[in-house]
Amino acid sequence: MTSHQSQLGGGEGIAEELAESQRSISIAEFFEKNKHMLGFDSGARGLVTAVKEAVDNALDACEEAGIAPDIYVEIQEAGDYYRLIVEDNGPGITREQIPKVFGKLLYGSRFHKRVQNRGQQGIGISAAVLYSQLTSGKPAKITSRTKNGVDAEYFELIIDTDTNEPEIDVEETTTWERPHGTRIELEMEANMRARSQLHDYIKHTAVVNPHARIELREPSEHMKYERVTDQLPEETEEIRPHPHGVELGTLIKMLEATDSYSVSGFLQGEFTRVGGKTADSVIDNFRDRHYGREMSWSPPKSHEPVDVARALDAAVANKGADATAEFADRVDDALDGYDRVAHHEFADLADDVAEDIEEKYDVTFGSTVRENAVEAGWNAVIGADDGDGDGQEHDHLRSDLYAIVDDVTTTQKDDATVQGIADRLAPKFGDADDTRHRFTRDEIREFVRRAAEATEEYDDATFGETARENVVEAVWNAAERAPDDPPNVTEIGDDRDTSSQLLEAMRETDIISPPTDCLAPINAELIEQGLRKEYDAEFYAASTRDASVHGGDPFIVEAGLAYGGDIETEGKAEVMRFANRVPLVYQRGACATTDVVKNINWRNYNLDQPGGSGIPDGEVVIMVHIASTNVPFTSESKDAVANVPELESEIELAMREAARELKSFLKKRRSMQQRREKQDKLATILPEMAEKLTQVTDDGDLDIDDTLARIMNNVLVERERDGDTVRLVIENNSDRSADVEVTDIVAGSEPTLANGDASVVEMDGEWFVKWSTSVSSGDEATLEYDVGEDADFEISIEGLEDERLTINA
Amino acid sequence: MSTDTDADAREQLIDLAEKFYDQFDEGNVPTMEIPTRTKSNIEYDEDKNVWVYGDRESTRTAKTISGAEKLLKATYTIDFLARQLDEDRSSTLRELYYLSESWDLDEAQFNNQDESNNLIEDLEIVSEVKREDFHMRPEESGAKVMGPLRIREQTNRGDREIHCQDDVGQGGYQIPNNPDTIEFLDNDAEFVLCVETGGMRDRLVENSFDDEYDALVVHLGGQPARATRRITKRLHDELDLPVTVFADGDPWSYRIYGSVSYGSIKSAHLSEYLATPEAQFIGIQPEDIVEYDLPTDPLSDSDINALESELEDPRFQTDYWEEQIELQLDIGKKSEQQSLASYGLDFVTDTYLPERLDEMGVL
Repeated sequence: MTSHQSQLGGGEGIAEELAESQRSISIAEFFEKNKHMLGFDSGARGLVTAVKEAVDNALDACEEAGIAPDIYVEIQEAGDYYRLIVEDNGPGITREQIPKVFGKLLYGSRFHKRVQNRGQQGIGISAAVLYSQLTSGKPAKITSRTKNGVDAEYFELIIDTDTNEPEIDVEETTTWERPHGTRIELEMEANMRARSQLHDYIKHTAVVNPHARIELREPSEHMKYERVTDQLPEETEEIRPHPHGVELGTLIKMLEATDSYSVSGFLQGEFTRVGGKTADSVIDNFRDRHYGREMSWSPPKSHEPVDVARALDAAVANKGADATAEFADRVDDALDGYDRVAHHEFADLADDVAEDIEEKYDVTFGSTVRENAVEAGWNAVIGADDGDGDGQEHDHLRSDLYAIVDDVTTTQKDDATVQGIADRLAPKFGDADDTRHRFTRDEIREFVRRAAEATEEYDDATFGETARENVVEAVWNAAERAPDDPPNVTEIGDDRDTSSQLLEAMRETDIISPPTDCLAPINAELIEQGLRKEYDAEFYAASTRDASVHGGDPFIVEAGLAYGGDIETEGKAEVMRFANRVPLVYQRGACATTDVVKNINWRNYNLDQPGGSGIPDGEVVIMVHIASTNVPFTSESKDAVANVPELESEIELAMREAARELKSFLKKRRSMQQRREKQDKLATILPEMAEKLTQVTDDGDLDIDDTLARIMNNVLVERERDGDTVRLVIENNSDRSADVEVTDIVAGSEPTLANGDASVVEMDGEWFVKWSTSVSSGDEATLEYDVGEDADFEISIEGLEDERLTINA
Repeated sequence: MSTDTDADAREQLIDLAEKFYDQFDEGNVPTMEIPTRTKSNIEYDEDKNVWVYGDRESTRTAKTISGAEKLLKATYTIDFLARQLDEDRSSTLRELYYLSESWDLDEAQFNNQDESNNLIEDLEIVSEVKREDFHMRPEESGAKVMGPLRIREQTNRGDREIHCQDDVGQGGYQIPNNPDTIEFLDNDAEFVLCVETGGMRDRLVENSFDDEYDALVVHLGGQPARATRRITKRLHDELDLPVTVFADGDPWSYRIYGSVSYGSIKSAHLSEYLATPEAQFIGIQPEDIVEYDLPTDPLSDSDINALESELEDPRFQTDYWEEQIELQLDIGKKSEQQSLASYGLDFVTDTYLPERLDEMGVL
């Protein structure tokens, strides 16, 4: 309770007194007092946030209109203030809309939509307008030209903080060289202390928006990021909520607002991924929760001292002896067809037989008669009054339950324990008020718990959680779903508990993930292109996960890695975080993304990681992009992603996918390096050995290239000349097949081909003999041609790393 | 002193180089096959009555850097040995190691003396020429012999005739590195007594044991050098003298006996030339420790491990040794030769040795 509440017995008139100072606060006024919540807490930060709001807006506007974005950001020093100018080539904004878009907080169409966009990330461009007017007192200057407009509209406006309405200072038409687009100019108190964050924001934006051209001009630097693809992000669709993602309050609101009458119609109409079958599954689960299930029992066997027929016979009066007897016998006979029977099944059975009897004997089995008969018959089935006088109640239920419990209990439990559980469970059913034995799973769990505890206490046995849960499961499975129809939408919506049961049922049911066309992942290929554009690295990898769901909002996680090359080798790796293509530059330490990066054992992926945890060291850039209809942030300033387990696990998987590629690259690089080192080493040792051998043996000089190729498991290319004939022999000593493309440049004499599959092209007096072939492991292939003896050759081989190739030609 | 043996040895080495040469020439990878020199790869040769290497081989191949380096070193060493034989000079194993420092290629130089020693052994095995015939001498000198034996030794300074009792001092006759330069002339010896420690040898000489019992006392000095084992074998084979070994009563001394009688694992390729399988162990036996109630030390962990490893050694798998070793493990004690002194300085020569040699049927 807050202090605004008057207290019982407190001083009179306090409430009234307080009421005088209580009034609604305009959203603008609220903002003024809570700038930090929205990312405007300091001059340095305010500038970055303003740029971010303006650029995000511009990108969204362009993409919605299907225009490849071309964005210009300029920061100028203007006396005591900084002037921020952001221009885009978007569709422009109509004259009527301009004041509202820029001069009214929380105005817009994106906030409520279940669709992925950048806008949801911030409070909006109007917050930047407000910040600028609060710090510099200057109005925002907006120029906008729509596609068909001849002139551009020019506004100067501020926000009236009391009413949250735009206050227009200047409104006129003007000329503008851009054919369409929007330009905003703001002056604000700021400083460039956050220059590196600003640069990061722009650079990172360029990485994840390879379709955009972005330019930043600030007092001391000028950065340009060119477009690398014309492919715009796919247009996103708005989706209905997913059943796994709504909360109780939302569900109740939806129940109140829907046009549907039945739950089934409601589920199918208001949610995504729910068809008739899924709706039925949800409703079944809902009925289980709402009504419980009816326990079913095996009908009495002939040796048991109960006689259902006799009980029925006795319960029906005045219907004629024959009719009554046949009714009783037929019900009794029909019971033999059941393994287990629940109360409603028994009632249906009795009803069916009664109908037949009515027809055959022309008597009437009224509802009272039927009810009496069912009650008596059911009591006989469950052995309520077995009359065997042994003082033991519920013999029948006990033996039934014994079989169920025994079936799911491990052989380690002795017979007495099983019997103890069954004996103690039986009266819970037998003595229950609800003679239909209709219970929810929780009630059954409670029965089992009590039975188990009593058994542990009195029989000195142990019956642990797992064993109990097994029994609950078995009993629940033996019970039959209640035949009752589910309550309708209004009934559910009116009752919080029932709504909650429906929600639980929705969550429990397996439902396929929401469609992902509401999401626009960058996709692995473009991530790689984006990284390639901004980082001159040796290796790139990227991965895009399949869509997942958190709280009914689908999300996709993507990861990218760039390694080596010009990337800084000193210090920690750079981690870039993105949400819906917007770079997150603040609160790195509070972000789930950072946590996941730190918890991965990067040593497994051949990266340095001192201590085995934390951000890895060295020449690597890691990026993570989360695309979602609703990214869970830790706070309103939306700088850090919250630690949601589903999200974290997807981030981890995405990163591991990309990291695996990096690992195999590094492994290959390492093995190539070792191969090169080995080759270098052997290339010094073996020739020396060969030379020594020729000295010792007094034999001629040795050529050891063949040996070297064999040792290195290399592909050896050798030229043999025999008069006019040239033979290029390709010997594959490696353990896999080699696809090679041989180009032999012959000068001085025209070659004549002997091989059919090679070709000769003449260029500037040289002949290019080209030949592609595949040589399997351990095989050799020969290219043969004739050429004059005075010919010169220059050979080049494509398709194999240098380390795997020995050319002796 | 260039002889036929020298020419032969040179030939064998050049043949090995030719083999590498041909492997290169055919475009193959040079390799050298060597029997695996471990305990598990020695077997008893029924014909020759000695332990030799089994069938398992390891391959030195130029495929790996370390293999290529070994073959390079082998080639350089072959070159060196061939020249040494040409010039009729000799060098020691240690000299070879230092000499490699002068080789122009770093990769050809030996990293330590074990490496050069092993390589010489490899070359012995592959070329089937003894290192003595390469003119490679070991650093350690051969043993000393004291007893009624006259020999003629070829020295650089001419032949010398020496009686190993009358012509030598208290220290005895020093066996040369290559005992095959010795010729046995005549002797009054009854048997050969190999003694592990210098102290015990001196005791026996001081007590005139060699004189009294016509024994040839050979000082082993720890693990016996090749020359010592060779002369012992020749004394046995050529003079038909029984050979006995007198050592401490611990596992390390059993190995000394083992190397006299069975040959060593490292030089199993030379067993036929070095081993004296008929050599008998006098003691100290574990049984003696009990019987004579000798002063003892407890077995250390490494002693126990060594004993257990001997139980698994194929050369020690006889009833006699299994019984003795198990007894020792049982009592957990060991004794030195000198412990016999607890019964007086003359006990060993007056009582222990005569009793043991009698038991063994030597006396």
